[in-house]
Amino acid sequence: MMSSVPSSDKKSKLLVYSIEECPVDGQKTKRAFQVGDYVTKDGAKCTKCGNQTRVSLVFAESSRPSG
Amino acid sequence: MSLISTIALQVPFDSSSLVTLVWVGFFMLSFIYGTRIQSYFALNDIGRGLNKLKVMKDKSRKEAIDYLVNVGKSPGDPTQRVDQFLDYVTIMPVDIDPQGLVGKIDHVVTTDNDRVRQEVSKLVSQTNPVTVSISENLLEVATSLNMIHKIVRHFYLLGKKTNSYFTLIQLQMLMPMIIQEADALLNAVDSFKVGQPVGDGIGPVVVSKYMVGKEKRVVAKDTVMAISEYKGRKLYMLKADGPMAYVGQPGVAIRKVVEEMGVKPSAIIMIDAALKLEGEKTGEIAEGVGAAIGGIGVEKFQIEEVATHNKVPLYAILVKQSILEAITVMRKEIAEASEKVVVVLNRLIEEKTKEGDDVLVAGIGNTLGVAQ
Repeated sequence: MMSSVPSSDKKSKLLVYSIEECPVDGQKTKRAFQVGDYVTKDGAKCTKCGNQTRVSLVFAESSRPSG
Repeated sequence: MSLISTIALQVPFDSSSLVTLVWVGFFMLSFIYGTRIQSYFALNDIGRGLNKLKVMKDKSRKEAIDYLVNVGKSPGDPTQRVDQFLDYVTIMPVDIDPQGLVGKIDHVVTTDNDRVRQEVSKLVSQTNPVTVSISENLLEVATSLNMIHKIVRHFYLLGKKTNSYFTLIQLQMLMPMIIQEADALLNAVDSFKVGQPVGDGIGPVVVSKYMVGKEKRVVAKDTVMAISEYKGRKLYMLKADGPMAYVGQPGVAIRKVVEEMGVKPSAIIMIDAALKLEGEKTGEIAEGVGAAIGGIGVEKFQIEEVATHNKVPLYAILVKQSILEAITVMRKEIAEASEKVVVVLNRLIEEKTKEGDDVLVAGIGNTLGVAQ
């Protein structure tokens, strides 16, 4: 008889990123998530205009390309 | 010589008769012992699931203890207190006389939430609210998994003891869903530990975009508000206080803003995560009317009461996701939906209100990793 209990080991690994966005020119930089990151936290200086960026999103995406 | 032997001697023996006899025997066996055989397989199946649940329960308990010791800098060994915490029960009020029931549930739930925070603050020496809130969430996950394991074990043993076919079969049918939910809870631990926003936090993410740089004020327990502006409308933006793992009290907050602060909103717009149906895409946006908020129903009741009493239309913007996606680190599709939600929200404000109006916007959900 087939088991009805699903296996939970079929997931692909998730990589978590933080997006730093410049509030002035909208330049977005994607980098790996660091512990302590949160949405609206101050990020690095904008590479384009030198203004203070802000973490606008933190998200995970699969390491395996979706298809 | 007996009659049967006489008949047997008269019937000519061949191999096809033997096959027929075996088939008849097998049929009789299935007919008489079929449910017993199925019960045996069901017991095996449930047993495997139960072992899996036990591993999950133990892992979440260990993760909570490790977090309390390593990050929360627990002053002593928290193991015994954690074990007591896992078995703590919340007794819901009697519902045979439903009048005033929501108030009673609210009272019990508020007492429980306060108790959890008090317990956790004794277990950690850290005063950082993010650490305390994460500890609360980790203990709640461990409590939920402990309860799931106990209930499944109860019915497994009951079915085994009473040899109840129907108890076992029902439990066997539910096991895949139970395991899926338990798996989602266990996966949530990894996100909570490092303070990553979860899928349920999409409402707070959207609202935080309007609150950045504005003056914030606390309007209810763990709930903050800021005033923003959009095309001549005054926006009262509400969310739980982040980046702590709080859900706040949006019901109390909305009532306070409308009834105590004297704001007369032309619309209340609620943004929340919604469980998708199988086949729906993660990050899909749905619009609707009504109070978009989950939970036990107390907050929803309070919001509906305020809206009805003051004749304020309630609008909802929902972002679809699965239960796993809602309580684990926010997926890309959900995060990217935040920009689309802003577009929908702005359109809704333009369509449903006019210049000079007040609009109340509430971002509902766990605001872990989402400040304002």
